[in-house]
Amino acid sequence: MANFARQRTIMNDETLDPLSITARRAASGVLDAPAKITAQKLNFYYGESRALTDVNLVVKEKRVTALIGPSGCGKSTLLRVFNRMYAIYPKLRAEGEVLLDGENVLDARYPINRLRTKVGMVFQKPVPFPMSIYDNVAYALRHYERLTRGQLDERVEGALKSAALWAEVKDKLEHSALGLSGGQQQRLCVARAVALKPEVLLLDEPTSALDPISTARIEQLIDDLKVDYTVLIVTHNMQQAARVSEFTGFMFLGELIEFGVTSDLFTRPNNRKTEDYITGRFG
Amino acid sequence: MNRWQRRQLTDYMAKALGTAATLFGLFWLAWILWTTVSLGLPALKWTLFTQTTPPPGADGGLANAFAGSIFMCGLAVLIGTPIGIGAGTYLSEYARHTKFGKSIRFVNDILLSAPSIIIGLFVYELMVRPMGHFSAWAGSVALAFIVLPVVVRTTDEMLQLVPTTMRESALALGVPQWKVIRQVLYRAALSGIVTGILLALARISGETAPVLFTALNNQYWASSLNEPTANVPVVIFQYALSPYEFWHALAWAGAFVVTMLVLVLGVTSRWLISRGKEQS
Repeated sequence: MANFARQRTIMNDETLDPLSITARRAASGVLDAPAKITAQKLNFYYGESRALTDVNLVVKEKRVTALIGPSGCGKSTLLRVFNRMYAIYPKLRAEGEVLLDGENVLDARYPINRLRTKVGMVFQKPVPFPMSIYDNVAYALRHYERLTRGQLDERVEGALKSAALWAEVKDKLEHSALGLSGGQQQRLCVARAVALKPEVLLLDEPTSALDPISTARIEQLIDDLKVDYTVLIVTHNMQQAARVSEFTGFMFLGELIEFGVTSDLFTRPNNRKTEDYITGRFG
Repeated sequence: MNRWQRRQLTDYMAKALGTAATLFGLFWLAWILWTTVSLGLPALKWTLFTQTTPPPGADGGLANAFAGSIFMCGLAVLIGTPIGIGAGTYLSEYARHTKFGKSIRFVNDILLSAPSIIIGLFVYELMVRPMGHFSAWAGSVALAFIVLPVVVRTTDEMLQLVPTTMRESALALGVPQWKVIRQVLYRAALSGIVTGILLALARISGETAPVLFTALNNQYWASSLNEPTANVPVVIFQYALSPYEFWHALAWAGAFVVTMLVLVLGVTSRWLISRGKEQS
């Protein structure tokens, strides 16, 4: 009960009471789902220094999994292993296994561009390409699929709708994407990623550069997205992890310290470090 | 004098020295411009652009020299730009932190500041001697050697200014790197790259030494690209050293036109840069 009381001080909003969320989720069977991504004995190195140590993690299909932890704990590094983003830089390497639907994506024979169409990513800072709103979303589609103009229009509209941006931009699709607000730009980045119909979405602190209203919209969006996508989100914001995710992993100094159902982890953490972190004693 | 007054005095002196140095520099620049304008403008006549370079004592213009310069500068940009953009892209996107990339960048900087007379001599040995005659081709190649390092440098720097996150965002969509460079990064760096090309053009339009050794000069229209070809800088050089008043006037008129061209190119590139900044 002591933990719970402490937890209540973090999460002032009654409606976000994690226990009731757990109860609801457990009742609806939401916690049962097949594994989508499985990391086994994953180690990661920046040159000589080790950034991840023996990480074992299961990300469940069509659920939202959050990774929390203090700065530099390796949560972004872990996220960037799942689409092999690190591979564009020299001297970075991952060891171990990351299975996506049973196939090891760290295997050099796994085609990197196929991996990235299956595993989409949204970054911390929204970066629209210097082209029109339409072209931003259509960019990867044009590369991968031979679509007629009509089909392309449909896919772009669908992607913008699932990113909850369609209503705001439908009359100015030919305008430069650089003219959108920060929150709109971030939703455009989500639209760009979902246009390819990936299976997994990696969100790397997607709201840390946004205002509270835009943040709320993105969080609502994450809730909608999990119907179709497996979502893995890195966040600095513990309340956000509690609000949007079914599962949470706590990372510290490159290790996955604790992993579990979100409400359990926030109310009854097993590990002393997790408890210290979520109660705000460090981080 | 107390400490506060001493500080005031030091501040005042620093300001005065800085202002004086600036004025000193600007003074000569203004004088150069004034001389060019006051001597060039009166000599500016319509026939300057319609008649060819005259023999002593006759009337004429600089039409053949302008045509030769425009052609050679244009061809030099056409040769130097694709190679320069390619090399700059390689340096920024494929070899940014490698030793090889760093040494190429270093060598390119040397080429950038190489005396242009050496480039002229080099192309003289490379083309003029084997071919047996001066030509517009050789002139263009010599100027291309000056364009090249400028374009390499600006392309490299402008691409490096494109945020890493944009590269990552595009690569994360599973689009291959060459397509990301062509379709996203070039677009983001476009105004900077174009600026580099304009600055290179401004620089070669006044270069004398490289064309002196390669295109030489021609009093008449060149009938093919394999002939010595008239061009503005060499004509200015030749006419300015002559004893004839009319040739002097023509030289000043040519200098005026080239100066204005460089000014326009400079202002255009400034404008492009500021527009590029507003967009991003």
